[in-house]
Amino acid sequence: MLESLTSLSYGFNIALQPQNLLYCFIGVTMGTLVGVLPGIGPTATIALLLPATFKLNPIAAIIMLSGICYGAMYGGSTTSILLNIPGEASSVVTCLDGYQMARKGRAGPALGISAFGSFIAGTVSIFGLILLAPTLADFALKFGPPEYFALMVMGLTVVAYLARKSMAKALMMAVVGIVLGCVGLDPITATPRFTFGLLDLADGIGIAPVVMGLFGIAEVLENLGVLTKTEIFAGKIKGLFPDREDWRRSIGPIARGSLLGFFLGLLPGVGAIVPQFLSYALEKKLSHHPERFGSGEIEGVAAPEACNNAAVGGTFIPLLSLGIPSNAMTAILLGALMIYGLTPGPLLIKNSPDLFWGVIASMYIGNIMLLILNLPLIPMWVSVLKIPYSYLSSFIILFCLIGAYSLNNSTADIYIAVIFSLVGLLMKKFEFEPAPLVLAFVLGPLLETALRRSLILSDGSFLIFLQRPISAAFILFSVVVLVAPLFSKLRLGRGLSEED
Amino acid sequence: MDSVKKIKMRTAGGIALFWVVLGILLCYGATQLGLGSVTEPGSGFIFFWSGLILVILSLMVVAESLRSTDGTVRETAKMNWAKIALIILSLLLYAFFLERLGFVLTTFVLLTFLLGWIERTNWARSFGIATAAALGSFAIFELWLKIRLPKGIFGF
Repeated sequence: MLESLTSLSYGFNIALQPQNLLYCFIGVTMGTLVGVLPGIGPTATIALLLPATFKLNPIAAIIMLSGICYGAMYGGSTTSILLNIPGEASSVVTCLDGYQMARKGRAGPALGISAFGSFIAGTVSIFGLILLAPTLADFALKFGPPEYFALMVMGLTVVAYLARKSMAKALMMAVVGIVLGCVGLDPITATPRFTFGLLDLADGIGIAPVVMGLFGIAEVLENLGVLTKTEIFAGKIKGLFPDREDWRRSIGPIARGSLLGFFLGLLPGVGAIVPQFLSYALEKKLSHHPERFGSGEIEGVAAPEACNNAAVGGTFIPLLSLGIPSNAMTAILLGALMIYGLTPGPLLIKNSPDLFWGVIASMYIGNIMLLILNLPLIPMWVSVLKIPYSYLSSFIILFCLIGAYSLNNSTADIYIAVIFSLVGLLMKKFEFEPAPLVLAFVLGPLLETALRRSLILSDGSFLIFLQRPISAAFILFSVVVLVAPLFSKLRLGRGLSEED
Repeated sequence: MDSVKKIKMRTAGGIALFWVVLGILLCYGATQLGLGSVTEPGSGFIFFWSGLILVILSLMVVAESLRSTDGTVRETAKMNWAKIALIILSLLLYAFFLERLGFVLTTFVLLTFLLGWIERTNWARSFGIATAAALGSFAIFELWLKIRLPKGIFGF
């Protein structure tokens, strides 16, 4: 514990350096902006900014990119409350009671409690991160290829389990992601695989153009002619500070939301979207007046907002201590770490303590910045939303094209982004979810290497995954997750889609 | 059998056929790469198993969609496919001309098209915004962030 605190103070020394402070500020501001804007999310933004960070030192770059992740959570709630449109998928639930509060003239306290709740949850998750990540990393040093393989399989099955439509379709997307991720030279024999003689594919398909296509351009294409002029909450927003009664009602939901979000965020594959639904459901169940939920209850805003913020902190734990991303957003951060020449995994904390502790300290500073800046800046964010979507959509497309091109200075990446935008659109049309694809895309090469090494290690016996206790536990969990829906009609993801 | 169920079956069948064919092609490609042995998996090992799982899963999806008895086709937002095709085509042309004509000119043309033609903004405004955005993004990405953007035959 004492050692962690010493390391944290070292982290603050790094995070408080002027350059890092500046990039933290840029990250959280960008995050809030994309959180506010529907149609572009943190995942596409991180991919877009990735090339711009090459000239930075990796610590400043990761500080900025992670600022986008949690900044987006703050921004997403603003549109949910004022417009009934979630700027981010992880703010969907906030619409239910947040918008109703705004309609009753209580937009101020709704925005206020979501900012304070997010801040408290952010703090909780950062402390959780400090306590758990190093311990988990030490534990993960015992991991060999079979454990890593089993862990990744578990992550992918959890993502599929949480799919809101068909689990089989989500698993299919995970398989497609693995295949796409493995295109390029074989890591062991250097044989070109599915490159069709194209030199541009020899290094594999880049994560940036895939994300730009699936999450950026596809979203714009889908919204063509669908997004009509949105009704922006016109009344003056006053009284951003929740009163004593608001606090009394919110503090329990914030505490529960923070803990729930953090621990669910820890699980590979969960991400920030599912926990907020669960936290809303939990508060509704605990409430003496569940029938009032959906008509402007402050608990219905405080809990999910705290929860999605805490979950972001949680998702950083498998990323930083195991090198395993849990959702599309952290998958691209993993890609960033590798581009900067860092090896994500249990040794990251030991080999690059300045990065690990610097980023954690910056998250705390970023949360303070968001709290101070966000509330006074709400009128500005609202005015951003008055920009016609026709302009925004053209700019989003342009930025996605630049982002795809600039990573390798290759027009092939633009073609890939455009192709994936069409793929993304068809996926939406036929109800295939993109998240398992992106996660598997990043995990694919790691998964393949772990599988092949495990088999070489065991002399071809698949039993190796069951003979080692840790990997056996992961595999068992995956099997339960896969088989459970066959015996029970209750599947979490489907339940969630009914809750919408 | 009512018409809704027929549409459902046809769509599910079409999608499944696509994935089954893709899975089989993947398995075939994998065997060409070499599957290796279980003791020493080859380059095509992961692709073969992925292809096989894809085929099994696509059959499961068909079974799933036929079993669902709600009898309704989920109402998805109507997409404007003609517009979408035009945009996709314009983006492919953008990629084709980017290195030949340079970033500023190609971007200007693309944005004018997107704003003026697709979004029906008035032409004077489209020209103005496209010029400002092309020059502005060049300044931000090339001059400030030092990302090398293609210059083309005109040198900008």
